[in-house]
Amino acid sequence: MMDQAQGGSVASSGFHQLSITVECAHLRSSTLLKPTPYVEIIVDDKTPQKTETVKTSSQPKWNETFTCLVTQHSKILFSVKDHNNFRKDTVIGEKKVDLFLLLFHFNGRCDNLDLTMDLMSDAKQTDSPSKVGELICCLKGLVIDMSNTRSNESLPLGPSNTDGMSNRNVLNGIRAKLRGQGSENVMPNPSSTSTSSTSSSRSNSERAEHRRTHVNSAGSAPISISPSNNSIPNGCIGPPVTVPNGNVVHNETEETRTDGEPLPPGWEMRFDTYGRRYYVDHNTRSTSWERPQPLPPGWEMRRDPRGRVYYVDHNTRTTTWQRPNSERLQHYQQWQGQRQHIVSQGNQRFLYPQHQPAPVPGPGPSVVAEEDDGLGVLPSGWERRVQPEGRVYFVNHKNRTTQWEDPRTQGQEISDVEEIPLPPGWEIRFTEDNKRYFVDHNTKTTTFDDPRPGAPKGPKGVYGVPRAYERSFKWKISQFRFLCQSNALPSHIKIQVTRQTLFEDSFHTIMRLPAYELRRRLYIIFKGEEGLDYGGVSREWFFLVSHEALNPMYCLFEYANKNNYSLQINPASYVNPEHLTYFKFIGRFIAMALYHGRFIYSGFTMPFYKRMLGKKLIMKDIESIDPEFYNSLVWIKENSIDDCGLELYHSVDFEVLGQIVHHELKKNGDKERVTEENKEEYLTLMTDWRMTRGIEQQTQAFLDGFNEVVPIEWLKYFDERELELLLCGMQEIDVEDWQRHTIYRHYTRNSKPVAWFWQFVKQSDNEKRARLLQFVTGTCRVPVGGFAELMGSNGPQRFCIEKVGKESWLPRSHTCFNRLDLPPYKSYEQLVEKLTYAIEETDTFGQE
Amino acid sequence: MAATRRLQKELGDIRNSGLKSFRDIQVDETNILTWQGLIVPDSPPYNKGAFKIEINFPAEYPFKPPKINFKTKIYHPNIDEKGQVCLPIISAENWKPATKTEQVIQALVALVNEPEPEHPLRGDLAEEYLKDKKKFTKNAEDYTKKHSEKRPAD
Repeated sequence: MMDQAQGGSVASSGFHQLSITVECAHLRSSTLLKPTPYVEIIVDDKTPQKTETVKTSSQPKWNETFTCLVTQHSKILFSVKDHNNFRKDTVIGEKKVDLFLLLFHFNGRCDNLDLTMDLMSDAKQTDSPSKVGELICCLKGLVIDMSNTRSNESLPLGPSNTDGMSNRNVLNGIRAKLRGQGSENVMPNPSSTSTSSTSSSRSNSERAEHRRTHVNSAGSAPISISPSNNSIPNGCIGPPVTVPNGNVVHNETEETRTDGEPLPPGWEMRFDTYGRRYYVDHNTRSTSWERPQPLPPGWEMRRDPRGRVYYVDHNTRTTTWQRPNSERLQHYQQWQGQRQHIVSQGNQRFLYPQHQPAPVPGPGPSVVAEEDDGLGVLPSGWERRVQPEGRVYFVNHKNRTTQWEDPRTQGQEISDVEEIPLPPGWEIRFTEDNKRYFVDHNTKTTTFDDPRPGAPKGPKGVYGVPRAYERSFKWKISQFRFLCQSNALPSHIKIQVTRQTLFEDSFHTIMRLPAYELRRRLYIIFKGEEGLDYGGVSREWFFLVSHEALNPMYCLFEYANKNNYSLQINPASYVNPEHLTYFKFIGRFIAMALYHGRFIYSGFTMPFYKRMLGKKLIMKDIESIDPEFYNSLVWIKENSIDDCGLELYHSVDFEVLGQIVHHELKKNGDKERVTEENKEEYLTLMTDWRMTRGIEQQTQAFLDGFNEVVPIEWLKYFDERELELLLCGMQEIDVEDWQRHTIYRHYTRNSKPVAWFWQFVKQSDNEKRARLLQFVTGTCRVPVGGFAELMGSNGPQRFCIEKVGKESWLPRSHTCFNRLDLPPYKSYEQLVEKLTYAIEETDTFGQE
Repeated sequence: MAATRRLQKELGDIRNSGLKSFRDIQVDETNILTWQGLIVPDSPPYNKGAFKIEINFPAEYPFKPPKINFKTKIYHPNIDEKGQVCLPIISAENWKPATKTEQVIQALVALVNEPEPEHPLRGDLAEEYLKDKKKFTKNAEDYTKKHSEKRPAD
């Protein structure tokens, strides 16, 4: 099917661009006065396009090019007129061209086609129109796949009909030939089927040639997914034929604009019982309130062998399940625009050099070789085994791997220090933010560090290293790397990809291999660029594939909250019938990136990382993905709701692809009103629902794929922000650029806390800067164009520092507005302490 | 639908309140998320006619605000050629789930009667309004006579 697409066939439906160059005319002038001619082109009785006039000439030359939107059934009227300053312009001669007959004759190809038309005039006092001259034009850029047309439609004028009077009127007097082709194809007889097929194969190869050069000159590597290549289980993407649950805003201006255009093939307009207009798409057996937009130029709708509808974009030689519209095409262009930056971005990312496992303890020191070690049963699918020499190891039957670490303890902070009493004179208190701190009444000081020996600050933490070091990102990475290394498999796997079909090739290879194989060393080969992969090639591959996964045409991910840095699963991904397999693939792929220590181009939302880590999502998490919704939840939480007529029940709706999905938050939720008394439960249920709606299956598929390669338990050292750093890498942050593009509220550039803030930033290392940025903007990444291009939920949003609260408060952040609430601290030291605390602690802190 | 009960109650309340400035409320029984009605302003130059509007409620109402569109052309600094209107009470920053449609309509009627040229959607009209109020009033009146709906009899 890709062969066909490469043949350059273009949609049999919808509009196409045709470029018409009006070259010259030879006019018979019967009078002494020469005319002042110009040419009008009228496509299907629409607004005429006109050339300039040529003063008093019977051999006028224009060489003007017009671009027209045509369908394959368009009639194009060429009219040569005489301009007159005093009277109405008169028609010298005209010719109407039936585009379909031209296309039919030239096998769908009107590209570099020279037309010589006899100009006819019936102004004379004769019975039949007479020839008054010739007009010469060249048609370019229209290539249509006529094979579809032949099988699906009956010709308006069959070949056997060519002698008919009407036909002759249309065809007579038009001579056409393909430029660069020797013999002239004289028009009026559409050839017989046999000639047509030979010429068809010939022009097919020409078309292929043409396409290739076109692609090369455009200079962009075409991409491709071809749904029909994949075996897809049951797929019915179209909703059943019902009148949609209308929630679509009728836009009058839009309607009047499109009313004149015909509906695409297979569409029908109907009225419901209320007299409202709706549209039936018999192709997909779906309905819509919105009038279908014609497909953009170069697009075609097709069916796969199972009869499912998909769309081919011949401009880029790609396919997609979702009908293209202007918004999606805009996203696509934006996405494509990023491509040139990908590789350079990839070279700018870094993390710490990979650590050898030392000096931290070797595997399994905490594992006691006892039958009952007091840690309870192993997770399902795991088994504890003992080597002949007595060393304990663990088998993960789910992905057929083994490891030294006990899956029950790795990454977890098992702590029994809570049982130990505080030293005399100490007391536990909580801040306004519900953060625990300790008061030492002996010295009248306070600290966030637990004074008890054993865990938080003692000489050793739960991993047997000093607690302070344990908290460091470096140490966590080395632990994770150690797990990866000690579970590595020998030898390597080859992943061979073609740049043009990178995503599909990678998908097929990775899904074909057993998951555990993906832990072998990777040997990536770009076909035609064979060379040894010392790491650079695979670095590039991870970056490119991760960017491909975001291709809006795949419908898998979307940018969260209009902010183009972080991705979330697209609830409408089901338009791609195979989406779950793709999510599983992406899960495997992301795990591979972590496992092999490679970075990906663009990261996910913080709530998504939290979900990966199995952390509970809280209301504040909604703010970063849907601030409007979040504000309403907060309002309900903070206000007494019994007397304000909210009329809320324990149920909720949302809309996906124009359909409203209803959900009861609990059993009989439709009947249970939300009151002041039960609103806490309601808010919890709403939070859970909002964070999972429409994406549960996809998330699960992703996690399944991930877990097959890297057991999720391995990530438990990290919090969500560290996971982002680990996956995306850090980059050099330009502090001057940052400072230059920062704005202040209730502070000025010269306020002391502001000055201290920048002092702190300048004195921090890259990791700390990245974390600070993450704390305020929700991601550690800086836009390609620097801080000037920082985006918030409502478009461009500069980094902002606002004066909020008292010096005893901790800093807070509003990631959707890139805003840091910085209390007016009294000293540099105080600011450093509070800020450091805020950016290192993640759990719920500073977040609600 | 989750929003239905709330909207039914609001619709009933509005109909019972007998607003003079918002009439002829039409709602499809199958789709309570779309309302149509007639704005009947009482200040010149708009008191020469009436204006059809459409209110669209999102599926997530009242967690997200409704949107309002003018279906009748109007010469007004705060309403653009497409009929879009910028009303602070239903903006993302100000929206509260307890805000009632009746309040929204009252805010809209007040805006129609009393344009706010400081926050225009149509800069050209705002400028005219501020610089040459007489001309603006004349234009708006002519426009209203030409394009607006008939005012209800009472």
